[in-house]
Amino acid sequence: MRHESDKQPGRFGPPGDAPRVIDQGSVWIMVAAPTLWAIHFVASYVLAATWCAKAGPALSEPRWIIVAMGVVCIALIAWLGMMAVRRYGGVFVIFEEITESSERGRDKFIGHVSLLLCVLSVMAIVFTTLPGFMFSTC
Amino acid sequence: MRNAVFLISPLLLGGCAGRHNWLAGAGAEAARIEQLFWVLLIGAVVIWCTIIAAAVYANRRQVDPKLERQARWFIIWGGAVIPTFLVSGLLIWGMVILRDITSDSGDITVRVDGERWWWRVIYDGPDGDVVTANEIRLPVGQTALFRLTADDVIHSFWVPALGGKMDMIPGRETTLALTPQKTGSWGGLCAEFCGGAHALMRFDAVVMEPEDFDAWLAAEAAPAQVAEGDPGLAIFLEEGCGACHSIRGTQAAGPVGPDLTHVAARERLGAGIYAMNADNMARWITETHEMKPGIDMPPYPDLDGARLDRLVTFLMSLDHAE
Amino acid sequence: MTQEIDLSKLAPPEPFDEARDKAQRARLMTVWQEPPGWKIITAVNNSHIGKWYLLTSFAFFVFAGILALMIRAQLAVPNNDLFSQQLYNQLFTLHGTAMMFLFAVPIFEAVAILILPEILGARDLPFPRLSAFGYWCFLIGGVFVCGSILFGVAPDGGWFMYTPLSSNTEYSGLGADIWLLGLSFIEVSSIAAAVELIVGVLKCRPPGMRLNLMPLYCWYVLVVAGMILFAFPPLIAGDLLLEMERAFGWAFFDVDRGGDPMLWQHLFWIFGHPEVYIVFLPSIALIATMLPTFAGRPMVGHSWIVLSAIGVAFLSFGLWVHHMFTTGLPEISLSFFSAASEAVAVPTGIQIFCFIATMLVSKLRPSVPMLFAGGALAIFVFGGLTGVMVALVPFDWQAHDSYFVVAHLHYTLIGGMLFPLMAGICYWYPFVTQRAMNDRASRWAFWLMFGGFNLAFLPMHWTGIMGMPRRVWTYDLSDGWAVLNMVSTIGAFVFAAGFAALAANVLWPRGKAPLVARNIWNAGTMEWSGEVPGKPWGARSIPYIHTRYPLWEQPGLVEQIDRGEWFLPDAEEGKRELIVTDILDARPLYVQRVGGPTFLTLGSAFCLGTVFILATFHLWSLALAFGAGFIGFTLWWLWTGTSEIPERPSKPVGRGLTLPTYAQGNRSPGWWAVFITMTGDMTAFMGLVFSYFFYWTALPDFFPVAAQIPALHWLLLGLGGLIVGWLMSVGARRQLGQGARGTAMALLLGAVLAGFAGLGAWAFAAHEAGLDPTVHSFDAMVWMLVLWMGLHLLLNAVMHVYVAARIWADICNPDYRADLMNLTLFTHFLALTAIVIFILLAVFPMLMGAV
Repeated sequence: MRHESDKQPGRFGPPGDAPRVIDQGSVWIMVAAPTLWAIHFVASYVLAATWCAKAGPALSEPRWIIVAMGVVCIALIAWLGMMAVRRYGGVFVIFEEITESSERGRDKFIGHVSLLLCVLSVMAIVFTTLPGFMFSTC
Repeated sequence: MRNAVFLISPLLLGGCAGRHNWLAGAGAEAARIEQLFWVLLIGAVVIWCTIIAAAVYANRRQVDPKLERQARWFIIWGGAVIPTFLVSGLLIWGMVILRDITSDSGDITVRVDGERWWWRVIYDGPDGDVVTANEIRLPVGQTALFRLTADDVIHSFWVPALGGKMDMIPGRETTLALTPQKTGSWGGLCAEFCGGAHALMRFDAVVMEPEDFDAWLAAEAAPAQVAEGDPGLAIFLEEGCGACHSIRGTQAAGPVGPDLTHVAARERLGAGIYAMNADNMARWITETHEMKPGIDMPPYPDLDGARLDRLVTFLMSLDHAE
Repeated sequence: MTQEIDLSKLAPPEPFDEARDKAQRARLMTVWQEPPGWKIITAVNNSHIGKWYLLTSFAFFVFAGILALMIRAQLAVPNNDLFSQQLYNQLFTLHGTAMMFLFAVPIFEAVAILILPEILGARDLPFPRLSAFGYWCFLIGGVFVCGSILFGVAPDGGWFMYTPLSSNTEYSGLGADIWLLGLSFIEVSSIAAAVELIVGVLKCRPPGMRLNLMPLYCWYVLVVAGMILFAFPPLIAGDLLLEMERAFGWAFFDVDRGGDPMLWQHLFWIFGHPEVYIVFLPSIALIATMLPTFAGRPMVGHSWIVLSAIGVAFLSFGLWVHHMFTTGLPEISLSFFSAASEAVAVPTGIQIFCFIATMLVSKLRPSVPMLFAGGALAIFVFGGLTGVMVALVPFDWQAHDSYFVVAHLHYTLIGGMLFPLMAGICYWYPFVTQRAMNDRASRWAFWLMFGGFNLAFLPMHWTGIMGMPRRVWTYDLSDGWAVLNMVSTIGAFVFAAGFAALAANVLWPRGKAPLVARNIWNAGTMEWSGEVPGKPWGARSIPYIHTRYPLWEQPGLVEQIDRGEWFLPDAEEGKRELIVTDILDARPLYVQRVGGPTFLTLGSAFCLGTVFILATFHLWSLALAFGAGFIGFTLWWLWTGTSEIPERPSKPVGRGLTLPTYAQGNRSPGWWAVFITMTGDMTAFMGLVFSYFFYWTALPDFFPVAAQIPALHWLLLGLGGLIVGWLMSVGARRQLGQGARGTAMALLLGAVLAGFAGLGAWAFAAHEAGLDPTVHSFDAMVWMLVLWMGLHLLLNAVMHVYVAARIWADICNPDYRADLMNLTLFTHFLALTAIVIFILLAVFPMLMGAV
């Protein structure tokens, strides 16, 4: 059975409507990609701020770390995007609304929105790496 | 209340109405930002008109449900793809300009310290620090690096005609590079709300030919030309003015208020708000809090006419040597 | 019980029986009717609380608007001495403060409380008494903050309260304390509303309303409430630091004692920028709900709007430094925030294009709400475009703190928030009052507001370019700003006249006017299914939803609801009941009983408000007494109104469906509320953690000499005590589950003692190291973390004793132990907090070689 929520809570086990992990058709995939953007963003900012405060004006290392982190995050988002397409049946462009009243319909909707968020997050991560290319000193 | 300003202001109206204008083209940094501004403005107007035209068109035309596919492409292209390219282009251009207009060195260095509600200004002279206040003079065509600090609360240093602003924050030093390109007297302001008389925290940024600037700096560095036993100086010291104000070359060495060594050489009084003349000086001493509410300097309403006259005459004599 | 309910294969409804219908309606009426006469103040139902909330927010809007007119009157001519410098500084501070904290955010909560349950076809929100509590807190706090200007002690440091101007008691007086304590109090009520709205959207949807069928309004509410949960707590942490410095001299922002004024700016804007979108998104949600009605067809690009709501929510947390572009941060840091500020324009724009696309494929019915929506589009798009400008660092260096920014922010807020809200007022007016507004007057109001607004704010862009800085009470004729300011002032008064016309139209007594037709706009969403004249219970029966626009796409639905053919058509037990469903597919899980009218929430809010007001004046012992009163009222409210043991474990809800009447663990909304509240609490805690690392980054000598670092063994001991306390709470849950009531109670009480022992060890460690919070920021930070733990342990102790008493009274027992499960969830977060504090106090200094 696919949906954890329908299980009765075991007497002492974890209760039934816990957030489902990505594999099981959950909402978490929707926030996963923007969360990766947020992590990359905060990491870049903290790295630059700490570096400028503690290490010194030349930014040669942080620039490449920021870009490398960006590449890793984009790769992870690509994986999430594949998940959204394969597991959820997400498509990028829709020509009619996903209004099917079924689990499949709901999955497709989540997959589709997740896919869009993946694209937006990739764009935002690319934006965050641009300053890394632009500035060589604090 | 501020009648004096009101009376003198028509005199200033002539050439000065645009002295705070970003688009005055008086500084290299301001000119770069102005370039950005015009492109942004034209772009914004075009985009606004396009979107409104699209909305009006959408509202007027006959319904055609077959257009739904096109409408969805419209969302993707108009809402997502084109804006992405536009803003990424702007972002890159903005960063290029930012990189160009910042600098951590300059032809001259000026330290400015924000106080409630005036500016302490320190030049690096050939023989050490030259301390002045509420007026900044700059040589045209040279990059001035401002090293900005604050003593009490956060202020922000802004000469709109020359370039952007920079905050002055207690506990840190910020820097701002400005390269004036037009001579003249430009307006400077505190841009960060600093309580009380924030509105009256101004200064003048006077841009001069380099040789005039050098002469000015030399004159400013010299001690005050005070005659031995000047009665005005005696009153100045008796009233305790010297506890807060300094006049180099005399006993007055108070570090709290603005340096008055060459106060009469400044264009304005009270941190860039009143014309420098004897009447305003007299009112400043007796009706201080009507002239500028909330400041630390106490008024001296009880100074009798003769003493006040001598004191004002003395202060107005604190000009540069001929 | 709820296993695989196939809602499409339900039993057919029983044939209509008029006598039964009448009896059911009578029982529903008894249960849902609000108290008569003056006792109406004890009402808790969303339709009352929502209305009051709305009117109160608008009252504060009018107040702040009058302040704005005073500001404009002062600036109308140069060298004006209409108002003094001192009063002017109070005027603009209170204008910004009231508009943001007492109008823009509360109005979102007000509208959501009013219409969300109806859009969801629910009878109320999951915690009606919490909404009532939140409302009263808002009213008391708002009146306190606004009233201060009548006594001449209003805050005067700007709505952003920058330190050291606000932290140094030489520069700022009582006003700053009123701001800090009054607004912290209101922020608490905002968070309470956010928790309720999140749980409402996630768990109180009608059966069958899967995520892909959920109306756009609900998506926006979910997103915005989530943003409140992450944006407000850092400000509460900041308020705490600032008030500790003001009241007790702790060294957080004073440079001479290792403090840093920039920390406040970070904490404030981490709140302050998402705040702008917290204000903007709910109003766009109103347009997204109205537009399909007038277009007569579903929204084109529904999922794209969901995308942009979620995208904006995330990106808006990466913008905060764009309020700090001129603080001298490294260019690379500024550019990250410039990048995010540019990026956020994309999802924002997508929403607008979805609206235009919907208009492209339909014929929009002309109407007053659409007129306001059109005005909103014109104004907001322009504000968005100037937003793209000021997001560029070099441009912002000129525009920042000038009138250009004043113009920009009013274009975004009035275009993005006020005009859509006005559209919403005109649209939902018949829903709330069941009367029609005067259209002609509304059109007049629109044109006056639209014209007046542009007259006031369009010239302000140029005023800014002419170099006029913000927050100045006077200027000189020679500055060249006089004509522009006069035009702005005239525009502001025209705008105000327009608003007055609309307000008069809304408030016009229409008691004898004819009722409007049901679903007057022919809308597709559930809130219009209500009967005319309205009934206090909302939906007569709670339907099964399988479309996005049920009133269009499910023919006969309204009649079925009216005949009581769907769920919960009755209230046999005399209780207010809701259906709780699951997050993804809205399968019915159980029947939740919610509380009815009560004085307890009122008393609780009154006591808490008094505590904050007394604390402003440093009347500590009185404050303590009222604090005890607050705890007393709250516990009484919880004891009598939550987790009651039902008279039977399950009940039929109609159509052959039987649902449990009690839920515990994460099937119950209460568990989710604790989870979400604690997420917010952790965010506030992260604000403190951020502060710690901020000092470490900014100060080369943040760590003192080794002897002044709290000793490791005491810190370890303290952590041990706290962890043991946590394990005892978890053990109590297990013991109670196995029926050992006595052991469970003993463990609960033991957990309190262990926790306090751990805290004592930490406090001793800090004391022994000679740390004095008034001396240095490190000392203050260490004590703040200990204090944070202490405040939580106090709460922890109250809750442990409460649950132990519930076990003793047999209200919490092996079969019905929701209270204990919620409590252990709280202690999980507490344990996490303890571990992080331990890392900050012991591990990090060691890693950095300070020991």
